[in-house]
Amino acid sequence: MTTTRPVPTPSSWSEPFWAAAREERLTFQVCGSCGTATMYPKRLCPTCLSDALTWQDAAGTGEVYTWTEQVAGPPSGFEDRVPYVVAVVRLDEGVQLMSNIVGPDAANVQCGARVTVAFETVPGTDVVLPVFTLDEAPAGA
Amino acid sequence: MRRATAAVVGIGEVPSGKFPDRSELEAAVLSAAAALRDAGLSPRDIDVVMPVGALASSQFNVDLVFSRICEELGMLRGATMNVQVMSGGASSSTMLAVAEALVTTGAARRVLVLHSDKVGSLPPQRGVDLFATTGVSEEWERPYGHNMNAVGAMTSRRYMYETATTEEELAAVCVSLRKWAMLNPHAMYRSELTMEEVLGSKMVATPLRSRECNMLADGAAAYVVASASDAEEITETPVYVRGHGSLVTHYSMSQDLDLAHLGFPEAAKVAYEESGLGPDDIHVAACYDAYPVYPLIAMDALGLCRGERAGAFVAAGHTSPGGVMPMTTNGGMLSQGHTGAGGGIAVLVEAFRQLMGKAGERQVQGAVNAVETASGGTWMDSHVTVLSKER
Repeated sequence: MTTTRPVPTPSSWSEPFWAAAREERLTFQVCGSCGTATMYPKRLCPTCLSDALTWQDAAGTGEVYTWTEQVAGPPSGFEDRVPYVVAVVRLDEGVQLMSNIVGPDAANVQCGARVTVAFETVPGTDVVLPVFTLDEAPAGA
Repeated sequence: MRRATAAVVGIGEVPSGKFPDRSELEAAVLSAAAALRDAGLSPRDIDVVMPVGALASSQFNVDLVFSRICEELGMLRGATMNVQVMSGGASSSTMLAVAEALVTTGAARRVLVLHSDKVGSLPPQRGVDLFATTGVSEEWERPYGHNMNAVGAMTSRRYMYETATTEEELAAVCVSLRKWAMLNPHAMYRSELTMEEVLGSKMVATPLRSRECNMLADGAAAYVVASASDAEEITETPVYVRGHGSLVTHYSMSQDLDLAHLGFPEAAKVAYEESGLGPDDIHVAACYDAYPVYPLIAMDALGLCRGERAGAFVAAGHTSPGGVMPMTTNGGMLSQGHTGAGGGIAVLVEAFRQLMGKAGERQVQGAVNAVETASGGTWMDSHVTVLSKER
């Protein structure tokens, strides 16, 4: 049985992130008052509580902090995607986010592997998710 | 170090497992009544009732919020306050901390803490989906197929990467817990579990196999907290709350900067300092599990592994029955069963049971001091509580 895959419901302050993703840009917030880089998007700067948050494009590169390959027992909506790789990516700008590692060699991922952003449209929707691909197969993998 | 101001005076529990015909209310009433009887108290002796949140039935949770337990157990016009405290799996520790504060200030005399839930009787896919919401961001993480088993798997992966812990050592945690559960009549799983069975079970989310994943169960447990001086009048076996340390490290696990340690090093330091006790004084470790990596993270931070890596320490059998550092002696959520917010409460109640000398076949001889750990959601917070028979 196939169920509906969950998609994000943007808030008024996170909508620019998803709009940028539709343009294949990965963005994060920078506080215009204290300079803090923030992920995920916030209503107020979590350092100084200013609402002068601005958007910046990320380089789209980073490394895998941790990961798993889901091979069985997925949540509803992901039955057709198994196996898939979920990972926490630490961007070179210092912020982290949850994502998928995609591509034919995705399961060769390791902690510390270098990755680059890609963009994937959720089938049947206009939602575009930032995902990542491995830069190169890790030595010895 | 400070002198303890609060103590636990009674405990109650019903068996964990799949009990489709036992309602949450029945389990709650039976375990709460058992706690009162254990303390030698009547319902009229309780002034504050503190139910933790229930997950499987929102109607039952509403009943808990709106004083149903007070009505069912004869506390009407006796109880002064019915208040829910909910921190998911960390509720064992947070409810104890709140109850301790209430009896210490005199805002309450006796607090009945209770839990009941029926997550084990949910259809399996509903269980997966329910736990894909408890601390998993709907906007930022669920769209990627994130879920609770992936939480355990990704924490395990980072911990293994940083500590060189092996898959065999993770499996050894499950085996150690099962050896305790085989002695526990309240445990869901009581048959022997071998390393081969764990390592041969179906892969779910690498590196975790099915025997290493969250085992949902129906269950209920309760305990009664009083001031330390009151406790001495109530019972001959009070368990004193000697110290507590805790730290919130994330809501979304992707925002945690140190998944291999979480907040346990900081929490352990504060709890030990407050209690005046240290690793060498601890006789029983009641470590929150749900997945095998979490007791290892806690044991490392607590300094209970005699200088060894926690994985190697567990694999050598030191945490099993007869070992030098008995760990999670009810069998933990991996064997007694994960009852929702109550999985950790069962682990905490077992620590009380050990220090009260009521652990039956599992009794750790000469146990005077115990340490308990807990965490909620996607291990959003790290709690360490030091307990003792001595004030």
